[in-house]
Amino acid sequence: MAAIAISGLVKTYGKQNAVDNLTANITKGRITGFLGPNGAGKSTTLRCLVGLSAPTSGTALIYDKPYRDLDNPLSKVGTVLDSRGFHSALTGKQNLRVVAAAAGIPDSRVDEVLEMVELKDAAGKRMKIYSLGMKQRLALAGAILGDPEILILDEPANGLDPAGIAWLRKFLRRLAEGGRTILVSSHQLAEMQNTVDDVIIINKGKLIASGSMKEVIGDGSLEDAFLALTGGEL
Amino acid sequence: MGALLKSEWRKLIYARAHWGLLIGAILVAGLGTAVSPVILDNPDSGFGLGLEQTQSVDAVYANAISGYFFAIIIGIMLMSGEFRHGTAVATFLTAPKRGTVLATKLAIAAIGGMLVMVIATAAGLTAGWIALSFFPDAASPTNEVFINTLLAAVVSGAILGIVGVALGTLVRNQMLAITGALIYLFVIDPILLALAPDAGKYLPVGLITAMLALDIDAPEFGIDTSAYLPPLTATLVLLGYGAVFATLAIATSLRRDIE
Repeated sequence: MAAIAISGLVKTYGKQNAVDNLTANITKGRITGFLGPNGAGKSTTLRCLVGLSAPTSGTALIYDKPYRDLDNPLSKVGTVLDSRGFHSALTGKQNLRVVAAAAGIPDSRVDEVLEMVELKDAAGKRMKIYSLGMKQRLALAGAILGDPEILILDEPANGLDPAGIAWLRKFLRRLAEGGRTILVSSHQLAEMQNTVDDVIIINKGKLIASGSMKEVIGDGSLEDAFLALTGGEL
Repeated sequence: MGALLKSEWRKLIYARAHWGLLIGAILVAGLGTAVSPVILDNPDSGFGLGLEQTQSVDAVYANAISGYFFAIIIGIMLMSGEFRHGTAVATFLTAPKRGTVLATKLAIAAIGGMLVMVIATAAGLTAGWIALSFFPDAASPTNEVFINTLLAAVVSGAILGIVGVALGTLVRNQMLAITGALIYLFVIDPILLALAPDAGKYLPVGLITAMLALDIDAPEFGIDTSAYLPPLTATLVLLGYGAVFATLAIATSLRRDIE
């Protein structure tokens, strides 16, 4: 069963198609890597999927519904789009309490997720002093606040140091073990090869490959397959 | 809706900048009211009014409303702050029905603007009372001035908060929205009021002044309150502004992509 179904998605800015007739399915309970060179249309696709951008045409559905029609969406889908999204003058805890209140989630859950992302000690500090890694962890905490079945993560490893990437790998594996559906975009190809079950590769807004990791890379590496499919752009 | 109200209320009270605006409004209202008796008591001021006249003392107390522009800034910051800090993403991911989010934000901005105005105006009235106690020959104010000033604070605070949210939706750049609002309120509106009083009396500053129901005729300053709308009519027109701007905010936020 497809947890996420993208069908004929087109998003146009002026005369340029950022996403060009993209069709792809994300299978429930699997980790899917969403790959493509810079400017390929990955973030635009994810923004259309969660209702922040309106598709020019086509559909992007979660459990057969547009995101905005989901009941209490935070309990179905957790999203990390970038490390922004939080008020720099508020503490990490205050930022999450704002989100929790809107979703009807008790404040005790805020303390739980802060502990899960190992930010408990920094919870009372203002976001303006957070490092990029800490902001990414807070964004992940926000994504799991509603204990969702689906996670949509756009470049969650961006700006993380090796220790942060190792932490993220363990964190995602722990979430995946719970049977969650995870759609993750990243440039960390070696990391993705070891983490994801399925792969979707797009270039210039168009789908160029999709399937299980084995189907897409054969006996080679993800990086080799990616470079061959995208014409060497990374 | 209740959950969203709680979330928006937290945004209002968690941000230190909003508390700074409250302090600013108290200072402006307090100082503006406290220095008025000194200016009016000066025979060279040109107002042609003295503190021994009731209308002059009423004008002192009416200055307690002078922090009204802070209400519009609160509304702007509540909305454009979402785009400045990128929190609009989290807001609309949590509550993707944008009309509901906007309606909640308008309600909280109205409450926030009203609270700021009531607290600042009360501080201004107190400052005026203290300042006037240093002028033993000052006349007693009318009872109506306190009621009218507080009523004007409640209504203008709520409506300017709503207008602020609408401006923050239309002009997502926070500094541009605040600067534009201040230039309008302090430069364009007063000029229109002085040059074309027939049209100017329908503009926000003229309407807020009309709600105070003052009786002042100082032609050398371009002020003749008898030309203003009756207080109730002014209140209704100001409410109309609130409704138009609220509709604009909802209509525009529903269409645009969130970056």
